[in-house]
Amino acid sequence: MKNRPRPLLDTPFWTPGMLVATGFMIAGIIVLAFRYTKGLGYTTNLSYSYPWGIWIAIDVASGVALAAGGFTTAFLAHILGKKFYKPITRPALLTAALGYTFVALGVFVDIGRSWAIWKPIIFQNHTSVLFEVGMCVMTYLTVLWIEFLPVIAERYGEKISILKSLNKGLDKFMWIFIVLGVVLSCMHQSSLGTLLLIAPTKLSSLWYTPILPLLFLTSAFAVGYPMVIVETTIATSSLKLSSEMDILSKLSRIVIILLGIYIALKLGDLIYRGKFWNIFDGTGQSNSLLIEIVFGAIVPWIMLLFDKVRNSRRLLFIASLLIVLGVLLNRINVFIVGFNPHFAKCTYYPSIGEILVTCSFVSAIFFLYRVFVTFCPVISAPKEGGRK
Amino acid sequence: MKKIIFLLTMLCLVVSNSYSSPDATTKIRKDYHPRPSTWVPKDHIKALKLAQKKYEFVKDVFKEDIILRQMRFRHLGIGIKDIKSTYMVLQSPFVNTYEDIYGPVRFMHGAHAKTLNENCVICHHYSPKDSPNKILPCRACHQDAFNPEHAGRIGLKAAYHQRCIGCHKQRQKGPIGCTGCHLKNVPDHKKLVKLPKDPTPTQVTQECLRCHKNAGQEMLTSAHWLWRGPSPYTVNHLKCTKHGKGTDVLNND
Amino acid sequence: MKHISRREFLTSIGVAGTSMFLPKDSQAWKSRAPENPFACLVDVTRCIGCRKCELACNEANNLPEPEKDFEDKTVFEEKRRPSDKAFTVVNRFFSNKKQDKEGNLLPTYVKIQCMHCQDPACASACITGALSKQPNGAVYYDVKKCIGCRYCMVACPFEIPAYEYFNPITPRVRKCTFCFERISKKGGKPACASVCPTEAITFGRRKDLLQIAKNRIKQDPGRYIDHIYGEKEVGGTCWLYISDQPMEELGFPSVPKRPIPKLTETIQSTLFTYLWSPIVLFGVLSGIMAINKHKEEGNEK
Ligand code: SF4
Ligand code: SF4
Ligand code: SF4
Repeated sequence: MKNRPRPLLDTPFWTPGMLVATGFMIAGIIVLAFRYTKGLGYTTNLSYSYPWGIWIAIDVASGVALAAGGFTTAFLAHILGKKFYKPITRPALLTAALGYTFVALGVFVDIGRSWAIWKPIIFQNHTSVLFEVGMCVMTYLTVLWIEFLPVIAERYGEKISILKSLNKGLDKFMWIFIVLGVVLSCMHQSSLGTLLLIAPTKLSSLWYTPILPLLFLTSAFAVGYPMVIVETTIATSSLKLSSEMDILSKLSRIVIILLGIYIALKLGDLIYRGKFWNIFDGTGQSNSLLIEIVFGAIVPWIMLLFDKVRNSRRLLFIASLLIVLGVLLNRINVFIVGFNPHFAKCTYYPSIGEILVTCSFVSAIFFLYRVFVTFCPVISAPKEGGRK
Repeated sequence: MKKIIFLLTMLCLVVSNSYSSPDATTKIRKDYHPRPSTWVPKDHIKALKLAQKKYEFVKDVFKEDIILRQMRFRHLGIGIKDIKSTYMVLQSPFVNTYEDIYGPVRFMHGAHAKTLNENCVICHHYSPKDSPNKILPCRACHQDAFNPEHAGRIGLKAAYHQRCIGCHKQRQKGPIGCTGCHLKNVPDHKKLVKLPKDPTPTQVTQECLRCHKNAGQEMLTSAHWLWRGPSPYTVNHLKCTKHGKGTDVLNND
Repeated sequence: MKHISRREFLTSIGVAGTSMFLPKDSQAWKSRAPENPFACLVDVTRCIGCRKCELACNEANNLPEPEKDFEDKTVFEEKRRPSDKAFTVVNRFFSNKKQDKEGNLLPTYVKIQCMHCQDPACASACITGALSKQPNGAVYYDVKKCIGCRYCMVACPFEIPAYEYFNPITPRVRKCTFCFERISKKGGKPACASVCPTEAITFGRRKDLLQIAKNRIKQDPGRYIDHIYGEKEVGGTCWLYISDQPMEELGFPSVPKRPIPKLTETIQSTLFTYLWSPIVLFGVLSGIMAINKHKEEGNEK
């Protein structure tokens, strides 16, 4: 743990994965060119009944949820002062910053009048949940990059003197941004769930519950560390670094509690509203919910109860991945699968264009993550075998 | 599309000739029954005048049992003989609340009364509160629509339409569609048609099709185009089966 | 170590979560509906399906020429929805099984457009307040504020707002304007109401219209069912319907009686009035942070 974060200039940059990512990014840019010349109707399968598609469900809603690693680790390492977890804060912060950047970008391309994206700052509607989400995401995005600034300053501070002085000035106030980041996250993570409470006639009763915001918040808590585990495992294995299992398996013990709370709330809510047995109705929606609960929450939770799973790099990765996919599916369920407009002529399936753009955003996150870890001191894990 | 254009070109040739070329020989049709120079459509002028007549708005109305009412009118001897004019023109500013899409209806008052067995109360259902023996025209009580002071009362246009259409539907007699009673006010095409100075026949057709989009397609499904039968009324071509426009050499390019 | 983290996590969940339920009754939600706005009463039994309202609406709002003209009755073959090119459409139903003498089914025609809800979900949802409930009853759309997020479309229980999906840069949300400009003038009426030949659309003040509707139902109980759609639906709407059959048979969605924005606005206001919960959370968290820092420094010494 004495390793300091450092740039990884010595690893090869253009791996096959990076080439694929670049390919997707180019495809995404082409689709976006059509979106900005022919319109959303040309590139997406959106309709009057389904005004929101995967750009909102995945790029935005799931993007925000999966970037929860940033504030949950910040809470652990900075607010609770657990130095032990320090090494994972920077990668988590980077993923969060990149994640939110692309959340913002997702919103930018999805709204019809992208150039008007600043308008909510002036024309505020305080009853609007989306307004609150928008403001939080915007502020949090800024906070994230401010939090990330020291990392960049560490590397380039010598060359660019403003960066250095800025960093120095910010140092005193950094605690404000760290706390603010957690507060803002709690606000909009829950409010994302409130978003669809405005559509009681459309959102299926399998998901529609007044505590949906609480479920969103707890699931964000629950998915934060698994996301860190997943991304750390992917990064360390692809960069051939030591796996940091000591930190990760400790992290996974917290997940048991957090995920447990989420599962309890979710099942309790279904039982309380008398919808529990509807999970087994066998319709597409109930099956989707069943998968979300069983494979996305209960199975990984049981897995994590075992020491063996928590200490095995592979099994821990699988369990965490299940949780991540479970939350992803939950967001898709709430925003798309469970959304039943009364007048829909046909159900919504994303168009190729939408899928390509979403893929390109994910690729871009991978790509930029790689760029940052290569050139900035983000990762502190030593080379494989280096520490043993 | 090509077909349609050629076809309608022929049609429009006639029209465009009379519009665009002043020196083209105009057809002169002899008037076998010329109208005397002093003649005026007396009845119509009377009807139009009647339509202009204003009635003071009847605020309070009186409703009684419809059969009693009818009996009372019979008793008073009110009937078809009281109808003075041959027909009425249902034209009133209260009716034209939006814009004149249609011309006014000419209503055969007497004829209607006759088919209804002189049962006036079918239409004249209410009377002014203080004079139950009076029969007033619709527009005495039904005037402006949505009058907030008499919120329950419908305006004249609705009164006419509801009564006419309701009755026609119920008895399954008489027209129900708009143009069954109204003439359509065709908008002034001089303002709508946009043509270059000396248009070719094709240009004229295209201009027609600009608005009357379906007209071309409809023509292709009409007998005018599709006709493959004999032409018994066509002198010298009785047996000829090639007189549908679709088979006509002239247009069938 | 683990214990503290557990407890602290529960605290933060508690703060954000439970506060949602706490002051619910202390800050009861209040409707912001205008007292007696303009409204329209559609009497479905009077509508003859002439589509003049569509024509008038098209002219009044400068909408593009329709594909099939307004005389064309073949449009009734499918159920249409309002769109960016038509703010109101008339649909035909044969749901009441009434027949004429010859046994032909009698059609029922229903005009649909924005209901101009008293507590509109769309306006509550709109991120910039581009949609807003006006004192005169209209739910007005201000394109200058719109960012095109389409949350109004998600929110509207009647699925009314349409969108110019094929406009890449400046798409607008499109819906019935209640002829805002026209009715703002004294004596002005919505185009559709003034063109309608049979007064199937009655324009007036909402309270008067409710009274008229009740009278009509009372006077002719055989003609109507005893229900005014829009009196209570979604907390009340400015477009009211009376009919000879439940409106759900005529392609209307069944909607709850409570105002749609009530739940979300209650959650938002209990949580975020004066930003109290974020501020409390901020205080608690920075407190914890300070304590831990202090401890740490102590340890180091
Ligand atoms: S104008 Fe009136 S009668 Fe005609 S379709 Fe519209 S609502 Fe019905
Ligand atoms: S019907 Fe829909 S669009 Fe119209 S006011 Fe109500 S919520 Fe808004
Ligand atoms: S009120 Fe105006 S905008 Fe609304 S449907 Fe009627 S004519 Fe159209």
